[in-house]
Amino acid sequence: MLVRLAAERATGALLRDHGTLYLVDGRVVHAESPAAPGVDVLLTTAGRLPREGWDEAVDRAGAHRAVGRFLVDSGRLHDGELEICHLGAVFDAAFFALSPTSGPTRFRYGVGHWFGTVRPVSAEAVERETVRRRELLDAVWPYAAVDTAPVVPRPAAPGQHAGARRRALLAAADGVRTPAELARVLGRPAFHTLLDVRRLAAAGLVETPLDGAPDATPAPTPAFPPVPPVADPDIALLRRLRDALEAHL
Amino acid sequence: MPGIDECLMEAMTLPGARGASLVDWNSGLALGTAGESPVGDHETTAAETAELARAAAEFDTFTAAAEETGAAAGEDPGPPVEDLIVTTRAGYHVLRFVRTSFDSSVFLHLWLDRDTGNLALARIRLADLARRLVLG
Repeated sequence: MLVRLAAERATGALLRDHGTLYLVDGRVVHAESPAAPGVDVLLTTAGRLPREGWDEAVDRAGAHRAVGRFLVDSGRLHDGELEICHLGAVFDAAFFALSPTSGPTRFRYGVGHWFGTVRPVSAEAVERETVRRRELLDAVWPYAAVDTAPVVPRPAAPGQHAGARRRALLAAADGVRTPAELARVLGRPAFHTLLDVRRLAAAGLVETPLDGAPDATPAPTPAFPPVPPVADPDIALLRRLRDALEAHL
Repeated sequence: MPGIDECLMEAMTLPGARGASLVDWNSGLALGTAGESPVGDHETTAAETAELARAAAEFDTFTAAAEETGAAAGEDPGPPVEDLIVTTRAGYHVLRFVRTSFDSSVFLHLWLDRDTGNLALARIRLADLARRLVLG
């Protein structure tokens, strides 16, 4: 449907269960999703913009659908910052809005968004990136259960390090917050947080809920009989074992 | 500087420049591209350079000492890794991390021709471009 709307250069809002894409002349100009922090969260959480500065911009420019432009023209943000932040938020929200589980699709012609146009991207690019992101998540760690479950850190193996960004994520993981909630707390895009959680789970630094099977379609004829699930696999240890074995080949 | 496209256009005026892009190293997304890609597809190049940039940005070997230096100065010093340079038989690649005052993970990638490119000049100019992209 998105491709058809792009071909007919449609203007309006594409509504789905997990989010909304806004098109102008068939190009994506904005997207929002309840699952993804908006530009306001990204800018205010880090202290780049005070909440009052954002509210004033919405009050003064929202009616003209030019909030993004106003943030730059009033000296609150620079062009490059606005583009980087807004593009990040658009692709982030589009990832959730276009997910296969996002239900039926409706399109309302002529509907615009109050944020206004910053840097339109082609609908094909948005769709391609969304598919690439889904594949990337499964390539890292094919257990979608970690995307929605509370993030529960596991102790690191001796000498195992997570990197500064993921250490900050682990520090905020209190065993209750889900990846989407952590994204809001940290002021980061939700997809980036999902990806970091999957990387942490693959490294054995975050629990993987046992209920879900791998999402990737299994090989047609397994070379080995299926292995019964292990209650507490020490993934870091298994990885070190594998590396040691490979080093001796 | 007005924005991403103008920044990339300016990078393309450097001697020997063949391609430039602004890439998010966490997701592998190309936020903007100009010129050619070494593999004929900017999105593939973005995903591949992002893997390299992420390794440099996250491994403690590269970041630990730099973060101590920043903490001593008592101000936000920006990303601990400034740039990455890859030289190949055919060209140079310069990856420059962009510092933003909100959470982001972006870098500029400039691909230079080996014969006509000037690596030292490109590194200095790319640092300046990265700064002006967010500071205006």
